[in-house]
This record gives sequence, structure tokens and C-alpha cells, in this order.
Amino acid sequence: MILEAKDLNYFYQDGDRRRYVLKNTNVGFEKGKFYTILGQSGSGKTTLLSLLSALDSPHSGTVLFNEKDIKQIGYEKYRRNNVGIIFQSYNLIPSFTAVENVLVPMSITENEIPEDQKSVAYNLLDYIGIVKSKADRTVNKLSGGEQQRVAIARALATNVELILADEPTGNLDEEMEQEIIDIFKKLAHDHDKCVVVVTHSNEIAEQSDQTFTLQKGNLTAYE
Amino acid sequence: MNFIKRGLLSITRKKGKALILLAVIFILGNVISGSISIQQATGNVEKNIKEKLGAAATVELDYKALENMDEEEQMSIEIADLDLELIKQIGEISYVKYYDYNMSTWLGSESLQSYQGEEMDDAGVEVVADGMSPDFMLKGINYAPVLDFEEGIGNLVEGRIFESQEVENGSSVAIISKKIAEKNDLQIGDNFTLTNSVMDYDETTGEEKVATSRDVVLEVIGLFEPASANVEQSEEDAEMLDFMDIDYQNTIYVPNEIISNESRYQSEEYMKIDEEYAEMVEAEGTDYSDIYTPIFVLKSPEDSVAFEEEVQPLLPELYKVTNAGDQYDSIAAPVESMSKLAGYVLIVAVSATVLIIGLVVLLFLRDRKHELGIYLSLGEQRARVVGQILIEVMVVAVIGITLSLFSGNFLAQGISNTLLNAEDTQMEDDMMYYSELQAYQNNITTDDVVESYEVRLDSSYILMFYLIGLLTILVSTIIPLVYIVRLNPKKIMM
Ligand SMILES: Nc1ncnc2c1ncn2[C@@H]1O[C@H](COP(=O)(O)OP(=O)(O)OP(=O)(O)O)[C@@H](O)[C@H]1O
Ligand SMILES: [Mg+2]
Repeated sequence: MILEAKDLNYFYQDGDRRRYVLKNTNVGFEKGKFYTILGQSGSGKTTLLSLLSALDSPHSGTVLFNEKDIKQIGYEKYRRNNVGIIFQSYNLIPSFTAVENVLVPMSITENEIPEDQKSVAYNLLDYIGIVKSKADRTVNKLSGGEQQRVAIARALATNVELILADEPTGNLDEEMEQEIIDIFKKLAHDHDKCVVVVTHSNEIAEQSDQTFTLQKGNLTAYE
Repeated sequence: MNFIKRGLLSITRKKGKALILLAVIFILGNVISGSISIQQATGNVEKNIKEKLGAAATVELDYKALENMDEEEQMSIEIADLDLELIKQIGEISYVKYYDYNMSTWLGSESLQSYQGEEMDDAGVEVVADGMSPDFMLKGINYAPVLDFEEGIGNLVEGRIFESQEVENGSSVAIISKKIAEKNDLQIGDNFTLTNSVMDYDETTGEEKVATSRDVVLEVIGLFEPASANVEQSEEDAEMLDFMDIDYQNTIYVPNEIISNESRYQSEEYMKIDEEYAEMVEAEGTDYSDIYTPIFVLKSPEDSVAFEEEVQPLLPELYKVTNAGDQYDSIAAPVESMSKLAGYVLIVAVSATVLIIGLVVLLFLRDRKHELGIYLSLGEQRARVVGQILIEVMVVAVIGITLSLFSGNFLAQGISNTLLNAEDTQMEDDMMYYSELQAYQNNITTDDVVESYEVRLDSSYILMFYLIGLLTILVSTIIPLVYIVRLNPKKIMM
């Protein structure tokens, strides 16, 4: 198990009432597999992902990365060395070029990165489907699909084994969506990464190795 | 791409914002650099002028305080003489380079001709009073090398200075001016005779006549010449100088003891003539006593404040320390008021800068909230994100500050010229009191002060401006940086 959540509880304070989004949630993910998490809008998918990616902390329960509490690793450290996060709204730095965006996490991580970071970044972008001419464009001059590819390349830049994505194709058309999903599949199956994707789409869920559904604060596995 | 590179990249990618920040820093920088320029210039004036005024100090009666008393107080006040032991004690203070205490008296002579200025000499006009006028000022000294020579008021041109033995014993030796020596054909080793006359004033006729007198024979051991004032002077000043020159040419340096003896003789003889005076002296028990004027030469003009602080508590009532540099305050009014103005402007400008730059940076940061959230979500340490912003602001600041370094200095020149000219007309003359110190000061006027005022682009100004400028901007950036520390990447990104 590369990533495990144990008895996660998370609530939003609503006046003096607590509204639980996650109730004693347990889940585990393995390397080499492509997971999807389904759930209705407002069911708490993003909340769960924010806990798994250490952008937020649960009110109780633990998240384990390779059997180690991420709190112990340190949230910041975990984010820069162990996990790649992909967001629905790409979240790229608009004034930087694609390759510069990919270079940013390389300077932040403590993981081994080959000496020639720039060519690593170009290769990564090329692999994800961004040719050199586009890699040197500032990202606000790229299409949505291209921007999300850059975001994936950025998540991969630090050589992490764990990729978490929150509705990565939510803003893309079907064709583009399939291309992105193919990348995720390839990452899981060919490169032995653990890919967890939150989505609304049943088509995507059908292509994954395992799907969880989030309902009333509980995750249920779904074959 | 570490945070330093990221910062530099951000500046080049967002030129518009960098330019706005640059413009704001440049404008505020001009105000700051202008006021620092003026302050530095006035500071230099103070230093220069005080240097020129010299490092001499004396202890004397506080005439201003006396004048400010009402008559009753003035009548009842008893002014103690300055004790010789006290003078010696002050002389031992570490700030004092050397010191002397002087007595003086005026004596006439039948045989010795006084110097009356170049023109007078040629015309040969000699004003011969009844008996003789006391033409010669005897200046008693205790400091054998003669303080006036050390301080460059006069120079020994022939012969020698006193020996400490002679000063102690009150030997009948004297140093006279070369002019007097030439006029009277005196050589080193020659003797000359002065007359100590006690005058009696006839109340009915209103005439003065010599009651009794005695000869004072002195041996010439050295000749001095006044140090020529080689500064250009206006005609008025030149006349004044000439007048002072005559006085100095007729000065005769002798050991204090000689003057003490002659003054005592005067006092005692006068008591014989004037019974009323004798009775008064006896009644009050105020016998004759030596009155010394001390002069202290400090190691540096900068020590004068510390010297004054140390000496003032030792002094008897109504005495005060007068420093040569004190004159600065009365002649430097226009420069001083400008310095004050520049000081206020500086404070206002620095506060305004902190506020304005702080707001501008905060606005820019809010614009870049997303970018900052991305760094944080990628696990960047907040300190480095803060560092990146600091670098971005400081790079722009260094450019802006450097530009305003020159333009602000240039502006300051123009502004100070205008201000100085405006001030010049409304100068008020302070009432001046004669002080023993004046002999040891160069004659410096407000014009000299204004003239020596110069806005310069020197290293101390540059250092000062960079320090204040960059520090101000650093402080103004720190406030909005709190914003970064409080950013929540989850809220921004998800
Ligand atoms: N800051 C917040 N304060 C209060 N309630 C919140 C806050 N953020 C989210 N919620 C609530 O928590 C629940 C879960 O939100 P979450 O964003 O995790 O849902 P989601 O499954 O990602 O929905 P979607 O599919 O629309 O993205 C929702 O009911 C939402 O209204
Ligand atoms: Mg969501």
C-alpha cells in the first residue's frame, strides 16, 4: 500500500453544528494501479483529495504514505517529495512558459533530478504530448487540454510515485478527456505509478482498475 | 529554477508592474535622497565651520544670565573669582590637549615706541598724552611654549620661547613683536623699560595725573609676528583686522608672575591715594587677588560637547563654558533651519514610503495569489516564497534607489539654493558678547557658512541613502508579506 487513509473524519462548522463530510473513512491505494473516485457533487471528493494530498488536515484519523503518517513526514515535505497533484483548473503560472512551469517543482523537491533539468522537462512535456515549440510558449497561450498536459508534466517532474487528480478533465471535451485518461493509464501500468482520479464521469470510472464511490461520508469499493 | 531565479523571471515577465513599482520607488526615493543630501550637506557645514572655529574653550562669566537678572538680583549676587586650582583641574581633563591661564594689564613706556599701523607710521603723527598712554598690553602666560604660537595666532620668528623656570620664577623676560623691535632697534638680549604708573583722578578739575610710578625692565628673549590672515576680506573687514593687528603688535608676552606683581603694586599704591577705596577693601576683606582667564585647547572640536558636560558641574555659580564652536549656532541659522526642514521631510517621506510601497506590494501580491498558492501547493517553504517576493521588490528598489540617488541629489542642490537665498534676507542678528575666545577663532560669518554649504555626491551620502532607502522599502515589504504567511493553498487551488 503506497497510500492509506485510516478513520478519517472531516467536518465543516455550520453555525454551532458540525456537518461531517467524511466519517471514519478508510481507503488504500497501490502502486501500478489507476483508481477513480466517483460521487455526487458536494459529496466530499475534493475534501478527501485535499487530505490525501496534505493540503488540509483531518480532524481525526491518519493518512499513511508507505506506512508512514504524512504528519510525521511533514505536510510541506510530503507535498514536495512524495505526491503530484493535478487540479481541475490547471493552476499553472500564467506568465511562465510551459517548460518553466515544469521546472518550478524541480527546484522545490529534494528528490534526485538529473543535472540537465531543462532537457528533462522538455522530454517530459514531449512524452505528455507538448512539442518543443509549444513548450516555450507562455501557458496562457495554450489550449485547456494543453494546459492540463503541462500540469500533468509538472506533477511528474519530481519523479513521484503517487499522482492525485481532482476532476482533471472537467473542463475538457471528450476527445481531449480520453487522451488525458490514456496518459494516466500509461503512467499506472507502464511506469508503476499510483494514480487516483476524482471524477464525475462513469466512462472514466469504467476504464480504471478500481472505483470508489463517496456517499454520505463513506467510501465504498465498487468492482 | 530556485526562488531567486523565479523572482528575477517574474520581474522580466511582468514588466508593467515592475515599472509601476519602479516609478513609485523613484518618486519617493527622490524625496528621501533630497532630504538626506541636504542633511548631509548641513552636517558637513557644521563640521567644517566648527573645524574652522577651532577647538579652543574657556570658562567665563555667563553675561547673558547676568543680563537677564533683574536689578535687585544683580546687586545681591556675589561673583566668585575663578579659582586657579579649578583651572588646573579642568586642564587635566582628558579632552584637553593643553591649556593656559592668562593675566593681562596695560602699561605705557617713555622709551619704547608703540606701533600705530603702517599709515600712521609714515605720517609720523604721534599722539602724546599727558604722561604717557598705556600702549602696551602685557599678556601673562603660564604655558611656556606660548599657547598663541601653538595655535597659530602668532609665530615666533627670532629668539626663543620661555623656559618653565622663567615662568615659575616670574623672570623679567618678554617676547615682543618684530615690528616693535624694529621700530625701537631692539635685539634679542636687549632690555627695554615700561612704566607702571598709578593715576590719580582729581575730582574737582577732572584731570588725571601720575601719582606714583615704577619702572618695569624686561629682557627681549624672542620676537613674534602675527600669523597673516591671508583670506580675502572686504574693505570693512580689512579695517577691522588692521585695528586688531595694531593691538596684537603691541602685545608683550611675559610670565604671569610679572603681571601679578605689577597689578598688586597698582592696587596697593591706589589704596594709599584713595582712602575711600582702602576702607572699602578693608571692610569687605577683599584683598587683591589674581584674576586669570583660562584657555583650554581641546584635542578635537568634536570633544567640545563632552568637555562642556564634564566641566559645567565643577564651575561656580554664573560661570559657563564657552566653546569656539558655540559661535556656529548664531551664524548658521539659515543652514540649520534648512537642516531641520530636511529632517521633517525625511521623516514624512519615509513614513509615506512605508505606507505607499506597502500598499502597492500588497495589491500586487493579491493579484498573484494564485501563483503563490501554486508554490505552496508544490511544497515550497513559506520563507522562500517570502524570499522570492523580497528579491523581486528589492531588485526593483535598488534600480529605483540608484536612479533617485542622482536625481534627488540634483534636486537638493536646486532646492537648497532657493531656500538659502530666501533665508538670507530674514536673518536676525543675535546680540554678541565679547569673549576672550574671539582671539582664538577665525572670523566666520553667515556668508561663510552659506558659502561652505555644498550638496555633494560623496560616499557617506551614497551609503546613508542606500541604507535608509533600502531599509525603508524592506520594512514596507514586510507588512504585506504577512499576507503570504497566511495564504491557504487549499482554498486557492481547489
Ligand atoms: N469552506 C467550506 N465551508 C463550508 N462548507 C464547505 C466548504 N467547502 C466545502 N464545503 C461543503 O462540503 C461538502 C463537500 O465539498 P467538496 O468540495 O469536497 O465536494 P465535491 O465532492 O468535491 O463536490 P464537486 O463534485 O461539486 O466538486 C459540500 O457540501 C460543500 O458545500
Ligand atoms: Mg470537487
